[in-house]
Amino acid sequence: MIQLTRRNFMKFAAASGAVLATGEGMKSKALAGTVQTQTGRDFSPTTKKERQAIPTACWQCVARDSMIGFVEDGRLVKLEGHPKSIRGNGHICARGMAGINQVYDPDRILYPMKRTGARGEGKWKRITWDEAVTELTDRIKKLRDEGHPEKFIFHYGRMKASAAKLIGGLVEATGTGSIGNHTSLCEAGKWTAQELTWGGHFDNWDIDKTKFILNFGSNILETHTNHMPVAHRIMNAKVDRGVRMVTFDVRMSNTAAKSDEWIPIRQGTDMAVFLAMTNVVLNKGLYKGDGEEFLKYCKCTEKHDDTVENKVEALKKHYANYTPEWASKISGVPAAKIEQIATEYATTKPAVLIAYRGAITTYNGTDSERARMVLNSLTGNIDNPGGNCKAVGAGWASAKIPKSETKKAKDIFDGAPKGQPESYPFPTHHASHQVLPRIKASGPGTFELALWYCYTPAYANGDVQGNIDVLKDEKLLPFVVSVDPFYGDSTHYADMILPDATYLERYDWEDMVDPTQIGEYYIRQALVKPLGESRDFGDVMIEICNRLGIKTDYKTKEEYVQQSVDMTPGVKEAGGWEYMKKNGVWNDGKAKYYSYKKEVPAEAIKEAGVVYDEEAGVYWNPEKAHVTENKGYFRSKNAYKGYVATKMGDKLIAGFKPDKINKSGYMELWSQPLKDVGMNPLPEWIPAPEHANIAPDDLHLTTFKVVVQTHSRTANCKWLSEIYPQNQAWMNPKDAAARGIKDGDRIKVKSAIGEMEILAHVTENAQPGHINISHHKGHWAYGRYASGKKSPVGADDPDDANIFWKGFGTHPNWIIPNKGDRIAGYQRWNDTLVKVTKA
Amino acid sequence: MKKGIGISRRDVLKAGGATATVIAVSGASAVVANAAEGPPRWAFIVDLRRCVGCRTCTVSCKAEFDVPLGRWRAVIKPVDWGIYPNNRRAFVPRLCNHCAGESEKGVPPCVEKCPEAQSGERLKMGDVRYRTGATYKRPDGMILIDMNLCIGCYKCIDACPYGVRYIDPSVKLKRPDREKDFGIGKCTFCEHRVDNGIEPSCVQACPHSARIFGDMNDPDSKVSKLIKEFNLDKNREKTTLLPQEKTVPHVFYIDPEGVLGRYKFDYKDKAKKQAEFRDNIV
Ligand code: SF4
Ligand code: SF4
Ligand code: SF4
Ligand code: SF4
Repeated sequence: MIQLTRRNFMKFAAASGAVLATGEGMKSKALAGTVQTQTGRDFSPTTKKERQAIPTACWQCVARDSMIGFVEDGRLVKLEGHPKSIRGNGHICARGMAGINQVYDPDRILYPMKRTGARGEGKWKRITWDEAVTELTDRIKKLRDEGHPEKFIFHYGRMKASAAKLIGGLVEATGTGSIGNHTSLCEAGKWTAQELTWGGHFDNWDIDKTKFILNFGSNILETHTNHMPVAHRIMNAKVDRGVRMVTFDVRMSNTAAKSDEWIPIRQGTDMAVFLAMTNVVLNKGLYKGDGEEFLKYCKCTEKHDDTVENKVEALKKHYANYTPEWASKISGVPAAKIEQIATEYATTKPAVLIAYRGAITTYNGTDSERARMVLNSLTGNIDNPGGNCKAVGAGWASAKIPKSETKKAKDIFDGAPKGQPESYPFPTHHASHQVLPRIKASGPGTFELALWYCYTPAYANGDVQGNIDVLKDEKLLPFVVSVDPFYGDSTHYADMILPDATYLERYDWEDMVDPTQIGEYYIRQALVKPLGESRDFGDVMIEICNRLGIKTDYKTKEEYVQQSVDMTPGVKEAGGWEYMKKNGVWNDGKAKYYSYKKEVPAEAIKEAGVVYDEEAGVYWNPEKAHVTENKGYFRSKNAYKGYVATKMGDKLIAGFKPDKINKSGYMELWSQPLKDVGMNPLPEWIPAPEHANIAPDDLHLTTFKVVVQTHSRTANCKWLSEIYPQNQAWMNPKDAAARGIKDGDRIKVKSAIGEMEILAHVTENAQPGHINISHHKGHWAYGRYASGKKSPVGADDPDDANIFWKGFGTHPNWIIPNKGDRIAGYQRWNDTLVKVTKA
Repeated sequence: MKKGIGISRRDVLKAGGATATVIAVSGASAVVANAAEGPPRWAFIVDLRRCVGCRTCTVSCKAEFDVPLGRWRAVIKPVDWGIYPNNRRAFVPRLCNHCAGESEKGVPPCVEKCPEAQSGERLKMGDVRYRTGATYKRPDGMILIDMNLCIGCYKCIDACPYGVRYIDPSVKLKRPDREKDFGIGKCTFCEHRVDNGIEPSCVQACPHSARIFGDMNDPDSKVSKLIKEFNLDKNREKTTLLPQEKTVPHVFYIDPEGVLGRYKFDYKDKAKKQAEFRDNIV
């Protein structure tokens, strides 16, 4: 340890004369602010000069960690975690480190382009920004003038925080509500389950304070919605505090490998294990104490004010047949193991129960997450230090965003296409993967103008061929604009491309969940000017709106961000924008737990318009919810928007505040909204229809992420793809031998909708009965490192001669259909069965 | 808050703050006072309990030096053993070991085989005199390369049993007779950062505090404490790579599971040892 001693200082002084210059480099002019900390420093290995340090935030994945960018002679050269960030504690991951590759991607689009050849032919001409903005504005204006602003579809892949607020808001200001997202590809079912149960979504796992980590299907040490902020805490908890971690997963991910125990589980059956664990907890009385106490806040029967005894009785009755033996047959996990883990989870206090992609990408996905929440509840691990907590993030103020007086939307975002026998009663995060199939089903005229923002519909959704067919069809999509910094698999099918700034060349306020329960306010700032003519699309949207006569108080997104930051309580007092540019992060130091217990002052229910709903036990304000005809809290559209408080005995509490769904303020283990649509109000196991007649030679196809890639937007980062140039299909040696397949062989993988070829990776880390294929590779138009093809505007790069890989892998989405889980419509990535043969 | 092990942020901050202050107050005399103290001996500890194979180190090193594609200074090697469902996986991070060399030689094989190992300037570190060369050893244990002196014979590449040296297509030799030829690269222990009082890039980057860097000569340093706690220098057979080569590595592994014993590669075969020092995820 380097300590503050004379002896130590001397060593450094002796080691280099350069130490005399400590701090000198900081004086050079930064593009934005500078930061001065010891770990937030870097030096050039060639010139030995100190590099300029600027705080900013990552956007390689949605975790959006705070970091420091280092700039040398105007070029971004290095990224490190921000040492003062309470979320990241100075850490970013390999993807974050490789963000530099995004800025200097030699296949980047540096000026607006218009298609010249046939759609998808890859022929383009350069146009000016004025031409591009004029064309887009004219097309939006025409639709507005015709009274059909909704024929403009805006579909985004990656848009959060200030970008979502501003860009999303300005798109709506043009009058269209036809806005697609991509949450149904990520974790929509999980969010919907939480909305049905405890209201606003996102559970934070309080790793720093927990004593046991039980993980179902999250590859948290390789990738995750809140990846690095959580991952480094897990390893600290494990090594420094000896916290045990158990992982259920279909394959041995690196997370499973680093867990104390890996328990292989058959794809799509995590819910069965949750149900059986609950059965154990109930039958062994392990809910007594903390669980019983928490049950007061739960709804377990139709009556919100039922006694705890009745609640327990009702649950016992419902869970009676979900025995460990029953679950063992379904999941392949030994019954004794289920009992042991249930007991360990229920008796180690506090404990976190993680459930993610593996547990939800299936027919029962939403209900699986609900089943998980029952276990949290029965053990008292809800919103408590060390348990599953209601997530806390920054609450930024927003500068004013203009609104349209009227707004129209196409009803195309929330269901399956005609002819597909599926329905999704609670698509609260939309079934956006079904948008292209539904455009096809509704035929020409649905949309006149489509704009993809940071979205690659061809690659990101299931049934790639189906997507390409729609994208190529000029009758279905007469004019397509793609806003992207990069040429790629979907920009390839656009009519006009607007070059976006990368995230390292723009400004945002950011708000991703903070694992400490405090809530970190942080910003992203440009480290270098946008390359070429690329522009932050926020700036472009402001210009379009202004040209349409929609006024804004700001001319750039940077100004919008600055105004918002300066308006935000807490941050404002700390020094606002100037403080944030210099420091990058701010927090109020107060951790938030047990938010549901907070008592609500009696005045709140005395306000005009507030009424009590006996059935729900909820005080609400129909006026505030714009409810004209009160059909009761549960059954009046958007009643949740008028939620005020929950009555518990003679107390008024904040409760579990509803969001998007009219649930009561209780933790709804028993769900009235589900009952109202004819579903079981308690979590119920219903086998996936595809799996009913599984043949002996069928394998479950599951997809996954590796530690050096995000789903679709990192394959052209050279430092990441040189480590992972192509994907291979993981197979257990038994399954491989049965098919005469050896490691490295080319194989055919065939599903109901198509067939793909890929190399086999025969490994003990795969579970028999499954084939696992990562979903980052097999790009066809996304740059030289990702696809072997330079983009039509690709420049030469000094590293061109060093590209050593010839294979680029295969994308599994070609053979995975677009479907939805039975409640939220969340894409069932992992329900596909395949036959595998040697090619 | 962070860094269970390693140079903690606070400590580095203190060291830096102290540096600036002392220099300002008493400049040159401070350096003289140090002469009697002797240079540090840098050591690098990899905690295999903590390494999750995330490759943040790998990429941070690429960025720090803009290392060309297909070459690495830091790599991660997964080690798999056992049969499903009792199979296991661990990760072995690798880099140049900054070997001390056998005591009678005093230098590792790469320096020993370098014909230009003594052709540079005479310098002093603390009270220790040394001479730079194409590949040379600094008194603080760093094995460094001076591209101005390298003649491109590549003998060091063959001499290193670990295969950590590579021909660097982005660096040209400076010798007038060999200017068409490429130079060489390998891990430098981030001497340009360490000399400025900050951790190596990959140590800063490692999110799981699996990489710890510090001075073995300072009994209070984290590395000294860990070396003592895990008996790392007395038990080199189990805590360093290729102990049989007697290179005396100064990269130590905390390895309670015995992963190093399962990690094998054919280091006698030149092509295979080079091929092994690559980072690749399957
Ligand atoms: S690892 Fe190889 S290059 Fe590094 S010091 Fe040892 S012998 Fe030399
Ligand atoms: S290649 Fe350069 S450094 Fe290596 S042995 Fe030859 S002269 Fe020495
Ligand atoms: S110490 Fe520096 S040069 Fe060596 S592996 Fe780490 S980052 Fe690379
Ligand atoms: S950064 Fe740390 S945890 Fe990640 S691979 Fe490198 S040594 Fe292992």
